[in-house]
Amino acid sequence: MKLTIKRWHAVTSWYWDILNDELCGICRVSFDGTCPVCKYPGDECPLVIGECQHAFHMHCILKWLETDTSKGLCPMCRQAFKMNGGSDILTNSAAENDNNQNNNLGENTAEIVMER
Amino acid sequence: MFATRRLLNEIKALGKELPENLHLIQTSELNKLYVDMKVLNNPIYSPEDIYRLQFIIGDEYPFESPQVQFILSRDDNITKIPIHPHIYSNGHICLDILGDKWSPVQNILSTSLSIHSMLCNNDRNERPPDDENYISHAPSNPKKSSFYYHDDNV
Repeated sequence: MKLTIKRWHAVTSWYWDILNDELCGICRVSFDGTCPVCKYPGDECPLVIGECQHAFHMHCILKWLETDTSKGLCPMCRQAFKMNGGSDILTNSAAENDNNQNNNLGENTAEIVMER
Repeated sequence: MFATRRLLNEIKALGKELPENLHLIQTSELNKLYVDMKVLNNPIYSPEDIYRLQFIIGDEYPFESPQVQFILSRDDNITKIPIHPHIYSNGHICLDILGDKWSPVQNILSTSLSIHSMLCNNDRNERPPDDENYISHAPSNPKKSSFYYHDDNV
């Protein structure tokens, strides 16, 4: 038997490439969700990882570092919170195929039609 | 906005997270809540007494610490202000994480647990040395006091 693909439906899902912690410690919302100020998750509400390896929503940690109380320290370990040259701001999410497990957010669908 | 969303998030989880001797009481105001606690394993505290910790959450929470103190309940005489070398008889608590050591990853649960463990581990049946003087001048909001940390080992 010979099959001809006439149509297929691709689904991609994404998640931040961070596995150790699922919630932002500052806003207690999942990293894959947004900080309380943003509406759309993903590149609009990126994550930041400090040299100490603690991760937060960028908007959350910046708001904390602006306060006097913070003294520039990481909320988790109280070491100076340092980001080196933006390389630790995640702007790309890991994209995978639809065999990816538990992703509820940011699902995009693309449709490709192949016909002869 | 930030404060409300995080607070609702916490309140939802608190029911499950609080250990047996700690009990959350919500008030008619969203930003004011109580955590009632008992200390069962320390002879300094009577197991019948209830210590009511009051949290007032400001608009800048969690970037600023909540206002936390022990209070007496108006409608019973079981609530007491627990005796402790860092707790003044007006309910104000001298604890660095409520002031300049606050961090936005602290929350109602972690703060309640820290204070509860302060009581569980206390072996001194006494008030701070300047109690009388402090309570006669203390502002009603303990966050306005600049505490002198008498003894970090307690």
